[in-house]
This record gives sequence, structure tokens and C-alpha cells, in this order.
Amino acid sequence: MAATTESVKADAAEAPLLNKKNMFAGAALYIVFYGWVRWYEGVYGWSAGLDSFAPEFETYWMNFLYIEMVLEIITASVLWGYIWKSRDRKVMSITPREELRRHFTHWVWLVMYAIAVYYGASYFTEQDGTWHQTIVRDTDFTPSHIIEFYLSYPIYIITGVSAFLYAKTRLPTYQQGLPLQYMVSVIGPFMILPNVGLNEWGHTFWFMEELFVAPLHYGFVFFGWATLGVMGVVNIEVQAISKLLKKDLA
Amino acid sequence: MSASQSAVRSRAEAVKVSRTFDWMILFTLFFVVLGGYHIHYMLTGGDWDFWTDWKDRRLWVTVAPIVSITFPAAVQACLWYRYRLPFGAVVCVLGLLLGEWVNRYLNFWGWTYFPVNFCFPSNLIPGAIVLDGILLLSGSMTLTAVLGGLAWGLLFYPGNWPIIAPLHVPVEYNGMMMTLADLQGYNYVRTGTPEYIRMVEKGTLRTFGKDVAPVSAFFSGFVSIIIYFLWHFFGRWFASTAFVSSENI
Repeated sequence: MAATTESVKADAAEAPLLNKKNMFAGAALYIVFYGWVRWYEGVYGWSAGLDSFAPEFETYWMNFLYIEMVLEIITASVLWGYIWKSRDRKVMSITPREELRRHFTHWVWLVMYAIAVYYGASYFTEQDGTWHQTIVRDTDFTPSHIIEFYLSYPIYIITGVSAFLYAKTRLPTYQQGLPLQYMVSVIGPFMILPNVGLNEWGHTFWFMEELFVAPLHYGFVFFGWATLGVMGVVNIEVQAISKLLKKDLA
Repeated sequence: MSASQSAVRSRAEAVKVSRTFDWMILFTLFFVVLGGYHIHYMLTGGDWDFWTDWKDRRLWVTVAPIVSITFPAAVQACLWYRYRLPFGAVVCVLGLLLGEWVNRYLNFWGWTYFPVNFCFPSNLIPGAIVLDGILLLSGSMTLTAVLGGLAWGLLFYPGNWPIIAPLHVPVEYNGMMMTLADLQGYNYVRTGTPEYIRMVEKGTLRTFGKDVAPVSAFFSGFVSIIIYFLWHFFGRWFASTAFVSSENI
């Protein structure tokens, strides 16, 4: 009787398997932030973003670039540092329930990664197309690039690496080595950012017009394929979760 | 960790946990694949997809199916061969279309003010349904590649015809003969994309007139078959669950 009461108490005090509040708050953070970014583009793209030699361009766009870069470096350092520093050194000794809870937390990270990848690879990349096909570029740091390359890409990199680090430091599944497809799905899209170097070099060297299907852009395409590595992550996770639930679902 | 311990309190909780994971997995897969598929498609066939005056009878019909069968083939290779889920192609195309429509409305129209009837995306749904249907009925990668790939190419133009036909109506404008789609392009100037960049209606075969689109679709279907095979195996590799030793990195 006493043991049962204790167990019920423990259940009541126990953290939920899935912290839905965190998940929805995280999703809202991305969506509200990017909503604000889109508003900023709408207001200052046309009024201050057409001539990179104008003083207002420096005020509204270059300062935006400097601030976002500093904030991204700080965020990445703090977040990755925290996840690594607070790692579980006895990860193979956790209970199955704790393992299940961590899988849920890991999936919250992956859901955030999905949102971040959507904004980076889909929303802001195609948006860059319409901007360049309309406005003649006179700098590498156009308003659309300052958002696409130097904001939305670092954000999905920070999120993806965080998800990977979480899995690697807290889940027994990932202690058998380095998951190849997980690395592909995080490092591949990360490589899109260094590939910006090729893109900018080519645009300043060969042509300023915007042809989106130009071979110069194929580096982005190649590394974009790496997102398919998420299928390998899904398969690893399905195997691990099935193992945890198999007995109870039989 | 004890092997006898259970991760859940009851079967009901196990079912609930399993369903919750299903939704989180589907959400993640949908949006990550959307991102990858969209960046691939916009940078390999995007210009033909962005603007109605690029949607011609020759290169749009040829390029769009060839570059768009890639992700559906890869995702089918995971969802069907591992989970017997027969909707890999439709999921990909729905994701792509969602990404495109959001963009065309909020950015092409909302930021750079091109009307949506000038920059709506191509329709890939008929080909995707047929591709999934053939895989479901046959269970065969080879048959899906050959029949489905060919159908993917052949169905593209008919699948878009009701949408694009009104814009291919000929008009005379300042003594010049052109289509309504051309006229849209001349009126909504894309300063960064001058007219000499527009790749439409090229080649000598266009002199055969009405045969251009079917011949292009047939050629596109042929290449789509090959691309399907290739990307099926890419998909299998991407869906693998291998771990590598950190010493090898």
C-alpha cells in the first residue's frame, strides 16, 4: 500500500514524457521571429535596401548584418556549450522511461530543425530569387542575402547541431558511434553556408543578372540533397522507440 | 538499465506515445523534405516554374519533370520499402507546392508585387498520384520507374494545360504576335532578369508546331525513368541507419 502510494506520488511529480509547452513555445518563437523579419524586409527592403552605397543602407542593413552575426556566435556558443557541458556521463544507465522522455525531447529539437530548415531552404531562398530577379544587385550583402544566408542558414545550423549534440550526449542509441545519416542531414545543409563563398565569387566574377538555374547555384542543390539524411534519422529513431515500446504494444 | 523495466505505465500509454511520435516524425519529415526538395527544384528548374512567360511548350515541359522526380523517388524508397506507406511522392509534392505557394503569395506578390497569376507554381500532383498508385499496385521499383517515370513526364503538360492554356492564347501587341504570357512578362519588368536570359521555345523542332509539347513530354518521361532509378538508390542510401566509428572521421 505504502509502496503504491509512493509510486503514485512519484508519477504525479514526474516530468511529462513530452513537454508540449516547450514544443509550442519553440515553434512560436521561430514563427513570430521570422514574421518580424519579414515585416522588416517589407519596410526597409524598398526604402533603404536598393543602393548599397547609400547611408541608410549602412544604417538599416549592414548594422542588421553585424548584430545578427554577433548574436548567432553567442547563441551557438552558449547553446552548444551548455548541451555539451551538461551531458549525461552515465547515459547507458538511464531507465527506459527516462530514455523515452529524452527521445521526446530529442524530437522537439528535430521539430524545431524542421521549422528552421523550412524557413532557410524554402521560404527565404526562393524569396531571394524574386528579389534578385527584380532588383539589380550592387553588393554581395543584399537585403535578401543578409536575411537568407546570414540569418536563416545559421539558425538552422545552430538548431540542427543542437539536436545532434542532444542525441549524442543523452541517448543510449547514439553511443554506438556516429550516426552517418544524422551527420549528413546536419553537415550537408551546413555546407550550404560555406558554399555562399562560391556563389558570391561567381556573381562578382561572371554575371550580375539572376538566372536561378545557373550552374553557379548547383552547390546549393548538392548540399540541399543532404536533407534527405533525415530519413536515416527517422529510421534510427523508429528502431529505438519500437524497442522501448515493443513489449507494451505486443 | 533493467531489461524487465517498462518505458510506459500501460498499453494505453504505449499507444498514445506511439501516435504522438508518428505526428512528430511526419511533421519533421514533411518540412525537412520540403526544404530540401524546394531548394533543389527552384535551382534546377525554378525559372520555368516562377513565371508564366517561361512556361513554354519546349523547355518547361522537358526540364520540370526531370528535375522534380528526384525527391519523390528517394522518399518512396524509404516510406514504401521500410514502412509500406504508399504516399512518398504525394507527400513530397504537397510539401513542395506548400513551400512554393506560400512564397509566391507572401514574397513574389507580397514583397516584389508580381501578380499571382504571373508567378504561380507548376502542378505536379497528377504525376505524383500515378507514381504512388503504380508503386502501391505493383510493389515493384522497376515497374514504378518505367511506367511511373514515363507517366510522370507525359502527365506534366496535360496536368498543367487547363491552368496555362488561357495564357498561351495569341495576341497582337504593337504589331507583334505573342502570347498573353509573353505580354505579362513585358509588362511586369524583372530588371534583374533581362529578356535575353529567357530560355523558351528554342530549337528547330518548334517548326513542327503542334508536336513540340508531346515530343518534349515523351523525352522528359524517358529521362525521368533513368532519374527515378538513380534517385531510388540515393533514397535507400539516405535511409540507411549505419553508424561509423569516430576514429574514421
